[in-house]
Amino acid sequence: MTSVGSRLGVGARPEGGGVDFDRLRADRRRRVFDAMAAADLDALVLGRPANVAFVSGARQLWTAGARPFGPTCVVVAGTARVHLLSVWDEGVPPEIEHADLYGLSWNPANLLRSLSGISGLQAARRVGTDGLSPGFPQFLAAAAPSAEIVDATTALRSVRDVKSADEIACIATAAAIAESALATMMSALRPGVSERELVARYVEHISRLGAPTPPSEAAVSVTPRRGRVDPPGVASSRTAAGGDLVVLDPGAMYAGYEAGMGRTSLVPGGHQRSRQAELLERARRQLAAVVASCRPGATGADVRAAWADAGGTLAPMPIVHGLGLGAEAPVVTSMLGSDEVLRAGMVVSAQVWVTEEGIGGCLERDTVLVDDGGPVALTRSARDSAMSSS
Amino acid sequence: MFSPAGGVELLIEGSPIPASADLARMRRARGERLQTELESQGLDGLVLLGTSAVAYATGARLPGLDSGRAALVRPVAVVIRGEARPQLFTPFPGGAPPELPEDRVHGGVVADTEEGAADLVDMLHAWFPAGARLGADELSHPLAAALSDWDVVSASAVMGASKLRKTPDEVACIRTAQRINEMAMSTVVGELRPGLRQVDLTATFLRRIHELGATSNGIDPIWQVMPPSRGDGPWTTHGDIAFPTSTSDRFLREGDVIWVDTGIHYEGYASDFGRTWLVGADPRPTERQRRQFERWTTVVDAVRAGCKPGVSALELGRAAISANGGTKPWIDHFYLGHGVGTDSAEMPLVGTDLGERFDERLVMQPGMVLVLEPVIWDEGASGYRAEDVLVITDDGWAPLSDHDYWPFDSTPAAAP
Repeated sequence: MTSVGSRLGVGARPEGGGVDFDRLRADRRRRVFDAMAAADLDALVLGRPANVAFVSGARQLWTAGARPFGPTCVVVAGTARVHLLSVWDEGVPPEIEHADLYGLSWNPANLLRSLSGISGLQAARRVGTDGLSPGFPQFLAAAAPSAEIVDATTALRSVRDVKSADEIACIATAAAIAESALATMMSALRPGVSERELVARYVEHISRLGAPTPPSEAAVSVTPRRGRVDPPGVASSRTAAGGDLVVLDPGAMYAGYEAGMGRTSLVPGGHQRSRQAELLERARRQLAAVVASCRPGATGADVRAAWADAGGTLAPMPIVHGLGLGAEAPVVTSMLGSDEVLRAGMVVSAQVWVTEEGIGGCLERDTVLVDDGGPVALTRSARDSAMSSS
Repeated sequence: MFSPAGGVELLIEGSPIPASADLARMRRARGERLQTELESQGLDGLVLLGTSAVAYATGARLPGLDSGRAALVRPVAVVIRGEARPQLFTPFPGGAPPELPEDRVHGGVVADTEEGAADLVDMLHAWFPAGARLGADELSHPLAAALSDWDVVSASAVMGASKLRKTPDEVACIRTAQRINEMAMSTVVGELRPGLRQVDLTATFLRRIHELGATSNGIDPIWQVMPPSRGDGPWTTHGDIAFPTSTSDRFLREGDVIWVDTGIHYEGYASDFGRTWLVGADPRPTERQRRQFERWTTVVDAVRAGCKPGVSALELGRAAISANGGTKPWIDHFYLGHGVGTDSAEMPLVGTDLGERFDERLVMQPGMVLVLEPVIWDEGASGYRAEDVLVITDDGWAPLSDHDYWPFDSTPAAAP
């Protein structure tokens, strides 16, 4: 694995040597065109922001939630050009020229006119997309009359799965930001603090570090000692009391790349400490087993078996999912993803959730590089400090 | 009751707008609307994957998620004709509405794999016979293939018709979202000074909305420094100004004119806050800037004067153009105004490239919500932009936003 330690900052440096974004974009773009050739795709029509970012390198306006599918980016193999829906050139890298930009339309007829102006799309035979809507095939038929629409997901995964050294450096930087957020949240953890206050601390902190878009606002759970225990969701006004298990699960994004880590802490004071410490120990054992299973060649079934052997039974969230330009494939849950295969150079989020009524819940998560020599955790913390100091 | 006009009860189809929403009643009313539209449009059900559509159809509370995460293990809503309650698939079971029985709440859907799509479709078989007509908003390729037993059409007509006119409870949610947004922006403006970076303002904003009880943030907050002239700004496809461009660690400096634009969600409903702020040790608008603001006020007043049931979007657009001396007072790629609901921009859209015939047929009705956002561009001296929110009532309109125009009208209220 290439050492990334000296690059872990967000600022430019006079001597260079940070993440070389020109190189990063050129490499991604080349990988996309290679994959199009391998999959015999004449064009790609992309709507998912992460796919658009991967091939275009453009810094897009971030909005919460899944974007409806639409033609935000068109990649044409024959001309080797990337066309982007953007009214302006700010945030657009120089390899995408003004002629490659098309404007925002509310009227489908105007959007169609924009697409019809893209050289090479009209004659495309096979067009790969990363989503569909019921009316889209008819719409695309007007812009590319002879095209068959095919699923580009496999081709896109083949270029996004394995990370370059520059991509890993971005993810490691995001990991450092997430660690910093976790430290800030932990320092605020005391009896009386609410979930909302902890989330407020989290998003404020990552913004001050220049990375204001959280991968997920579901980053805190003050787990109750009575009744059903849910993993983090929308923060509530529930406050932590001494002896509560509190999940802190911050993530961060740097240049679009995501990392995150989850740690559960016992709030100082209160009762039932040993039972809660035991639950936490179970979660940690499970996470260690899942992380250890993240080796090149391991299947989803292998990862699940490692988790189950360590006592894993409950998985309302994936046990492992990919990380790159946001959360991505593969997804391994307690039911799905048995045939997925981890490859060297993938980065995954490995996470476990254990809960027991009357005690609380624990979420533990790390960002892990699947390296040739075995798993390498990209997130770090003095993970036992909260326990030993309380 | 919410009655900003001072004691006058504001009615939507005869019902008052409550001070705070009755969420269970709101969800029930939305379910009834969806059922009415399924019936009248001849659909047997809906399969909804869009984040805002799921929020509308189920009332599920969802945290703010990056788009990749939101699409990886998806919330999905299934609405079955004849059944008042939806089926909800969600990775956030704690956000399911309390009245939804547990057997209607399922785990999130991995729609991008054949295996995940098959899991969902197995359940659909129990609810819909082969050949049933299903409305969908968004499909993955594996899901589209797995739905081949059914006649899948667009859900947009059902969703559009249901969402267009808000119930009084929905209006109350928008009002609450707007209030949280406004309070957070009051804190931000209290900290505004030269030397801060855009991301510093974001930090304060995001902290405040969560402290104040927002369900989620909606958009990376915009603090765009506006150039004096179009040519000084980014190149654009249409030659008009670029807005809104993304936030960065750009420093805000003495004399900068910034157009701010933020939005949050409360119980699924979006707010929309827009203002023009000046950066400075003692920011005071110049005479020319004051005239821009007056022009903006004139335009908004003219549009609001026309807001009542029966008036077309075309008439509202013409009122704005006339008040602006014959020039269209909005950005070429946007609109004079837009609706807001579970989407931050939805129908009614006023003044888009959908064209005059579309606007002519888009007639204001009680319960429609409008965010008015005219732009007064003053080439050489930047411009003024702000957004205000209103709802069409039975006999006119009522404001849903309530915020000062600092530093153009007065000093800012003390930050809460």
